[in-house]
Amino acid sequence: MRDKTHSEQVERWANYVKNNPDWKKKLKPFLDSQIIISRRIYKKLAETEEGREKIKLLRGLKS
Amino acid sequence: MMDRKVSDRTILDEFAENFCEIVEKYVKYIVCSGFVSIAHGRSRGTEDIDMIIERIPKEKFIQLHRDLEKKGFECMQSDNPETIYEDYLVNGDSIRYTLGGGVPPEMEVKFAKDILDEEQLKTRKKLPFTGLDIYFSSIESNIAFKEELLKSDKDMEDAKHLRIIYKGEINEEIIKKIKKDIRILRLKKNER
Repeated sequence: MRDKTHSEQVERWANYVKNNPDWKKKLKPFLDSQIIISRRIYKKLAETEEGREKIKLLRGLKS
Repeated sequence: MMDRKVSDRTILDEFAENFCEIVEKYVKYIVCSGFVSIAHGRSRGTEDIDMIIERIPKEKFIQLHRDLEKKGFECMQSDNPETIYEDYLVNGDSIRYTLGGGVPPEMEVKFAKDILDEEQLKTRKKLPFTGLDIYFSSIESNIAFKEELLKSDKDMEDAKHLRIIYKGEINEEIIKKIKKDIRILRLKKNER
């Protein structure tokens, strides 16, 4: 179970989103960065045969 | 059309809207679960977006799959839509589409499996707060599933976030009814 301060942070941020129309602009870099980092890792893995096998394992790709 | 600056669109927003635009031409859908909270500003990431679609005949699914392929979406389970339909969708398994190469994000698609899913499809709505041109399952439904069925820390926090965003607008009676249906249909509890 996460602690009290975590729960308070969830509440603090939800109130920020509710009351500030610029929330999307603030959140966009955070959300995009996770996808960008993930894509970067997949690109790096795809450079080697071993990496490509790992991608298949990670994503359940068709062979 | 929803009103939002182009610069605010995240990678997830663009992926979801492009996918949904194609799906809507063939079948009724809803986006549910984690992306609903993220589209409302929850500060957490996700690699997949969950979508439930009405059960459709194989021929119609093949048309949908071909259209998705034309727009660059690739199914990770198979290239063959008949295999995808027969080995996955009708068995209740989900299928996953990416924009090629299996890299995130991905859309996880499954058929409606019971009257709970069918009800979610019936009550689907666009949620202007998100600025997205997408049909979502209702806020009440999302809260009920997260609090009654999923229950992880992440899910409980998602529900809390939605409760704050929609404070004063949420119908608690609807949530109670959905939770009861979840207990009967998904958790197989006797409610008598």
